[in-house]
Amino acid sequence: MTVAPPPRPAPSLRSRVLGRAHDQAKPERPVLVLHDVTKEYSNGKLALREVDLVIPEGDFVFLVGPSGAGKSTLIKLLIRDELPTRGEVVLDGQDLAHLPRRQVPRMRRKIGIIFQDFKLLPTKTVWENVAFALEVTGTPHGRIRPAVDRVLSLVGLTEQAAQVPAQLSGGEQQRTAIARALVHDPRLIIADEPTGNLDPLISWEILQLLLRINELGVTVMMATHNAHVVTSLRKRVVALEEGRIIRDEVGGAYHRED
Amino acid sequence: MSLAATATMVLMLLLLAGFWIIQTGLLAGLQFTEQKVEVVGYVQTNATASQIATLQARVAAMPEVASVSYVDRDAALTRFRASMAAQGREDLTQYLNSNPLYGSLEVKLVDPTNVRSVGDALRADPIVRNVINIEDLVQRVLTVTNVLRTAGTVVLVIVGLIVLFIIVNTIRLAVVARAEEIEIMRLVGASDAFIRWPFVFEGALVGLIGALLTLGVLAAAADPISSFMADFFRVLPLQFGSLTRDLVALVLGAGVGLGVVGSWLSVRTYLIR
Repeated sequence: MTVAPPPRPAPSLRSRVLGRAHDQAKPERPVLVLHDVTKEYSNGKLALREVDLVIPEGDFVFLVGPSGAGKSTLIKLLIRDELPTRGEVVLDGQDLAHLPRRQVPRMRRKIGIIFQDFKLLPTKTVWENVAFALEVTGTPHGRIRPAVDRVLSLVGLTEQAAQVPAQLSGGEQQRTAIARALVHDPRLIIADEPTGNLDPLISWEILQLLLRINELGVTVMMATHNAHVVTSLRKRVVALEEGRIIRDEVGGAYHRED
Repeated sequence: MSLAATATMVLMLLLLAGFWIIQTGLLAGLQFTEQKVEVVGYVQTNATASQIATLQARVAAMPEVASVSYVDRDAALTRFRASMAAQGREDLTQYLNSNPLYGSLEVKLVDPTNVRSVGDALRADPIVRNVINIEDLVQRVLTVTNVLRTAGTVVLVIVGLIVLFIIVNTIRLAVVARAEEIEIMRLVGASDAFIRWPFVFEGALVGLIGALLTLGVLAAAADPISSFMADFFRVLPLQFGSLTRDLVALVLGAGVGLGVVGSWLSVRTYLIR
């Protein structure tokens, strides 16, 4: 097993583009640490077994593995939809298992999540869908407009701001979802099969966008079945199988290369 | 939520209010029946007015007794004649030389279960000739009224539970329809309170509007119902003022309460994890 590279310094570019000051003085610590995590569901199914994983700030990680390998469970643990049976999930220095329930929403704002099925609200426009993420967290109205306009221009949807999801192409819908995930300036973007519903060309577009966001300093973790994309990008690849991490290599391919 | 939930709310509240009105009428009727129980002691013809007054005062002082009235012999005769005339029968007393009736002490009771102790107290007095034994009859009447009272309460509780479940489930359907919105709110980090309050507020609003509509229907129906029930209310002196006040409180309380509880419970299933 190859060890993950030392964390890259967080570029200040991120603060500049996202328009919010980040305390540069804070010592670098991994965005995410999983230590000896085991998840057993109440029906006795072992979804994850003794998983260890460290994701440093600024990393771009592909999470691969067959269906049922534990990718979805891992993502549920990260957003504290589920709690580990054993072990620790530490996000930005906080152990999620010991996080009081009231603190969970605050923690979730450190994560932006993107789904295969976009999960946009059909009755709201693109602009409103993105603004929704800020409204529900009680952001003052004066701060919402500039933040939403900024991320929409980042994902290239300024023109489509007034349209509703049904009027958009699949790629545009996913870009809306990415804008929503990004708008509250998260430490980590989790993308769960973001290209699963999209054709190859649009998939590349979405991937380019995620890479660009990563270049701005946001850590990205992407679960995918798209072997071509994973193999050609040569990023860090974490492979799960039957709940275990069977491979963790930087510059890896989708399949094991011996 | 909106229309379907409000309509359900109105129908359920009407059901609840209807059964509650019936229960109130039933209770009043039963109470009225029980108050009819009277202990009557006939007084010897040779008793003096002061003896009778003393006995009357003594019985009136008993805690079980609501009121005591003395019907003297002449009044008893007048009453007898009136009742004969009312039934269209011939007045046989006109053939008598003297009044054959006795004066009587008529005792109204606070609680009909005390009929025995009051009867015994009357019997113990030497000026009392006899006391009609109505204890068995009273016992039977009380058995019937108690059964009816319990049955009415049980039916009302069951109706209340049915109303609770139907309203909670209707609201749940409305919340389920917005499950995705709730999920997105959770994922972008909305606090539980932030997610919950619009639903609870909407539930309270649906409850309030439903309750007001229900009260409107009841108010519109009040006149026809009361003219229909006029005979009933003539027999039963119900206090209609307190009935109206209680009904308004019941409908408003049940409507808003069920709306809030229903929303709270329905949203809770999405928040607990």
